Amino acid sequence: MKSQLSEVKCAVLTAASIALCIVLPMAFHAIPNAGNIFLPMHIPVLLCGLVCGWQYGLLCGIAGPVLSAVLTGMPPAAVLPGMAAETAVFGIVTGIMMKMIHTKRLLPDLYISLITAILLGKVVSGAAKALLFSAGEYSMAAWVSASFVTAWPGLLLQLALIPAVTAALEKAKLIPARYPNQRGR
Amino acid sequence: MGNDIMGQYIAGDSVFHKMRGSTKLICFFLILTAVILTDSAAGFFLLFMTAAGSAILAGIGLRNIGKSIARLKLFFITIFLMNLFFFSSEQAWWSFWIFHLSPAGLEQGTVVVMRVVFLLLFSRILIGTTTPAELTGGLEILLSPLGVFGISTGETAMILSVAVQFIPILSKEADQIRKAQIARGAEFEGRHFWERAKSALPVVIPVFLAAFRRADELALAMEARGYRKEKAQRKRGRISIHLCDVQAIVLSGAVCMSQILL
Repeated sequence: MKSQLSEVKCAVLTAASIALCIVLPMAFHAIPNAGNIFLPMHIPVLLCGLVCGWQYGLLCGIAGPVLSAVLTGMPPAAVLPGMAAETAVFGIVTGIMMKMIHTKRLLPDLYISLITAILLGKVVSGAAKALLFSAGEYSMAAWVSASFVTAWPGLLLQLALIPAVTAALEKAKLIPARYPNQRGR
Repeated sequence: MGNDIMGQYIAGDSVFHKMRGSTKLICFFLILTAVILTDSAAGFFLLFMTAAGSAILAGIGLRNIGKSIARLKLFFITIFLMNLFFFSSEQAWWSFWIFHLSPAGLEQGTVVVMRVVFLLLFSRILIGTTTPAELTGGLEILLSPLGVFGISTGETAMILSVAVQFIPILSKEADQIRKAQIARGAEFEGRHFWERAKSALPVVIPVFLAAFRRADELALAMEARGYRKEKAQRKRGRISIHLCDVQAIVLSGAVCMSQILL
């Protein structure tokens, strides 16, 4: 998708995605612990990487959580480095995967990119916490619990919502179609 | 989701308004470090005095900032209660199932809420006295060392500045979408966790569409006015530093250092 988007448009879409990293979690703030369960900040980062490419995804992945922490206090400072590492990987991997994978169908491209990015992001975030940010205090059980047990609704939400949002954006001609001749995606 | 999440620029002629954007950003990051390091009553008193002094110097009423932050009271209560009941089970005053009311939990809850409140106070003072253009310029100067690695600092600063300007717009848009969904019969005030979570979902796709539509319009406008990536790198003359800039950085550094020592 990136090749058909101008650099100015990529830049502004990235800005909008960073803003969504702050606005979207606020919709969930009224629900206790919803941030950890529904992971609303991950959705704009993944989408930015998919649509604009890895450089913009990386910027969105770092700037989104940092700006949110500065302006709204969430995520808290203790969680911020691990989360920024995770979202940065999301942005990079989705961008690279979308450039590399061409199955001639949009949905497989999206799902392969998303699942790879989510898994790598969780692994990098876990490794960063275990080795750098919470060295000696972070266990495998804590990683599995935080990444997959607590957050399973958020993972399902990402896998259901991002292809739907991408299709809606293509339909509204806000992003160019990846496979213009493809019907019934 | 009000439209005043992070405040807006208030025109004025104060010392804060006259300071360089980059100076204010450096001071903000120093104060941010101080806020993160604070965990004692004396430290919070010092932060309060700093915030009050800054608000008076900036010509922004501390009461007005306080009122807008008070709108987030439900959020503060939630994070306070979560820390109060889940932080520690040691020396608990009262325990039931997974809930433990302990002195450590009370202390942690208070510290976390105070930190968030001060963070918001200082960010509002920054946004209230700095125009988006000044913020962009300040970011560009602070990011300029990254230019050594081939990163376009002008473009990065532009993206961050546009993102900051998008926040109140998208927040308002999300609020309108939420109200429209309520008019269509959606219920956002369910009593159970899943009811409330499900009610937030119909807002997500329209918010994305609205955000991308606004971004599309802005990109078109920028291209029509001849904006190019290469032009994002501004040509700057010598950076002049005034006495007030130096004083502000020294004072912010002193606040930060005192929090380390306290």
